[in-house]
Amino acid sequence: MLSFLYARQSGLDDPVRLRRAESTRRVLSLELNHNRDVDRIHGNGINTLDIEVIDGRYMLSGGSDGVIVIYDLENNSKKPQYTCKAICTVGRSSRHVHKFSVETVQWYPHDTGMFVSSSFDKTMKVWDTETLKPAEEFQFDGNVYCHHMSPVARKHSLVAVGTKDPKVQLCDLKSGSRIHILQGHRGEILSVRWSPRYDHILATASTDSRVHIWDVRRASGSLFTLDQHNGDKSKTSSEAVNTAHNGRVNGLCFTADGLHLLTTGTDDRMRLWNSATGENTLVNYGKVVNESRKGLKFTVSRGCSPEFVFVPCGSSVAVYGLHSGELITMLRGHYNNVDCCEFHPDYQELYSGGKDCNILAWVPVLRQPDIEDEETNSKRVKHCLYLYRSAGLD
Amino acid sequence: MRKQLNKKVAVFKSRMNRKRALIADTFCLTKRRRCAADSVTGESQADIRSSLQYLVTLFSRKLFNDSLPPVVLKHQLYSLHNDKTSVDKQVNELRETGELLMFQLGFDSEAFALVFAEDFRAKVLQGEAGRGTLGTVEKFLAKLIPSCSDLSFNKEKMLKEFLFTDSEITQLVKSGVLTVRDAGSWWLSIPNSGKFIKYFIKGRKAVLGMVKKSKYGEILQTELEGRRTTSQVKFQMKYHIHDIIGAELVECIQTTSGTLLRYVDGNVN
Repeated sequence: MLSFLYARQSGLDDPVRLRRAESTRRVLSLELNHNRDVDRIHGNGINTLDIEVIDGRYMLSGGSDGVIVIYDLENNSKKPQYTCKAICTVGRSSRHVHKFSVETVQWYPHDTGMFVSSSFDKTMKVWDTETLKPAEEFQFDGNVYCHHMSPVARKHSLVAVGTKDPKVQLCDLKSGSRIHILQGHRGEILSVRWSPRYDHILATASTDSRVHIWDVRRASGSLFTLDQHNGDKSKTSSEAVNTAHNGRVNGLCFTADGLHLLTTGTDDRMRLWNSATGENTLVNYGKVVNESRKGLKFTVSRGCSPEFVFVPCGSSVAVYGLHSGELITMLRGHYNNVDCCEFHPDYQELYSGGKDCNILAWVPVLRQPDIEDEETNSKRVKHCLYLYRSAGLD
Repeated sequence: MRKQLNKKVAVFKSRMNRKRALIADTFCLTKRRRCAADSVTGESQADIRSSLQYLVTLFSRKLFNDSLPPVVLKHQLYSLHNDKTSVDKQVNELRETGELLMFQLGFDSEAFALVFAEDFRAKVLQGEAGRGTLGTVEKFLAKLIPSCSDLSFNKEKMLKEFLFTDSEITQLVKSGVLTVRDAGSWWLSIPNSGKFIKYFIKGRKAVLGMVKKSKYGEILQTELEGRRTTSQVKFQMKYHIHDIIGAELVECIQTTSGTLLRYVDGNVN
C-alpha cells in the first residue's frame, strides 16, 4: 500500500491505479456488517432495487406487494451503527399504488425528481418524487416484465418496455406516447437494457432463447442476434441454432464501459459477449444456478480491476471474476431466494433484496490495524500520559 | 456428531483463509507480473494432455470387449483444473491440430466426449475389418482427422466438400460413424457407443444416489472411492467421481480431512 502511495506521489503511477487497487481490495472483502442495516418496510418479497447515479444517496425498491420505498443511504449520525431509513413510501393506502407486484423501478437518469416503475398490473407509471403521484401512466396488454431508460441519452428520453407481448415497445417520456415497436422476438420479453456507451443501442432478451441487439434509429430489424456457438452450426441440434442460451434468457447486464454484455439463462449458464460484434467470448463460469421464471437482476462492479459480477444464485449472491470466470466467493445471508442486487460504485457496497423481505447491505471490511501499530500506539499514549502527569505535578 | 462439527469448522476456516489470500494478492500486482507468463501456457497444454491420458487409464476397456476407444468427457477435465476457460481453450487447440476429436453424445446438450484421434481411427478400422464398408469409412476418416473439427455435417457438406455419394453416406451411417441428427444432417459419433452411454448414465445415477443417501447428503471423496460398487456401476468409481464433480452435480468443499462432496439439490437427474 505504501509503495502505491509513493509511486502516485512521485508520478511513477497513474492516480487511477491506487484507486482501482483499493476498490478491488474492498470488493474482495465484502461482508455482512452488524453496524449497517436497511429499514424493513416491505411485507412481501423485494423484486428490484435501484440506486440513483447523481449522488448515490437514495435507493428505490419495488416489492411483490406493489409497494415502492425510497431509502436514504447516507450516514449522517455520528455513530458507526446506522440504519438506512425509508424516507417515503408509496404504500397500499396510496390511491395510485400498483395493484400487483412491481417488477422494475428506475430513477430518472439525470435527477431524482422523477422515477419510473412497471408492474404486473400491466401499467408503467412515471412518478413525481416530491408529491409521490404518477405524472404519467402507460397501459399495456400484458404483464410488464421490465423497463429501462438509457443512462447516457441526452437527445432522447425513450423508455424500452418488455412485456408478455413479443414486441418491444419504446415509450417517449417527452410526448407521452408509444412511438416505436421493435419486432423480432417470438416469446415474452424478460429483460431490456440500453447500452451505457451509445444512446441508440438496446439489448433485449426473451423466452425464445434469443437476445437481439437493436439500433433504434434504424427502421428495419435488429442489428444482430447473439449466437452461443459463434456461427458454428455443427455444435448443436438444429432447433437450437442461433440461440444465446439453451433455455429462457432472463438476465442482461452491460459492463460499465459498455464493451461487453453478460446474459444469464435458465440453462444455468452465464455468458459474456462482445457487444460490438456479438461474439461469445467463451468465458466459462460453470453452473450459475438460475430458476427464476421472471427476469433476474444482476450487476457488475465499477472501478475495479479485475471487474466482478454479482449474480443472485438461490439464496446467496455469487461473485465471479468477469473475464476469468472463476467463482470468487458466495455471499450468504438471506433466508430465502435473492431476486436483485445493486452495486454502489462510490463506496463499493452491495445491496441485495429477496423473498425474505430483507435488503442486506454488504460492506467492505475495514483495514485491521497491524499488531505492531497497536503496540506503538499504546506506548505512545502511555508516554504522553506520563509527560502530562509529570507536567501537572510541577 | 464431533465429525460433523469438525467438518463445519474446517469449511469455515478454509473460506476465511481463501479470502485473506485474495486480498493479499491485489496489492502484489507487480509480483504477479514478474512470474513468467509465457512458461505457463506452454506447460498447461502438456498439462491437459497428461490429464486426458490419466482419465483414459480410468476408462475400462474390457467392459466393451475392446471394441470402443477410451472415451473421456470434457467436463471431467474441469474437476482436475481450476480455470474452465483455459481448459476449453486448450481442448480447442488440440482439436485444431487434429490430435483430439470431440463428439456430441446426445443425452445432454452440454456433455461432450473426447477421444484421441489415433485411438478412434484404430478402433474404427478394427471394427470395420472384413466388412464391405471399410473403404468408405477409411476415406471418411482420412478427410476428417487432420483438418475437420466439426461435430455435425449436413448434406451439402457431405456431397460437395467431401464428395460422398448418397449410398456412401448410408454406408457410413450403417457403420456407426455418423448418426442421424435431422433430415439431411448427421452427428459425428463413435461406433458401438450406445452401450457406453447406457452404462454411463446408469452409473452416474447410482453414484449420485450414494452421495444423496449419505447422512446430510455429503460424503468424503476418499470414503466414496472406497465404497463397494453396486452392479449398476460398471465403470471405475474415480471415473464417475470426476464426472459428477466436473458437471457440478455435487459441490466440492475442501476440508482438513480431505475433499467433501455435497449433493446439490435441484438436479434434473
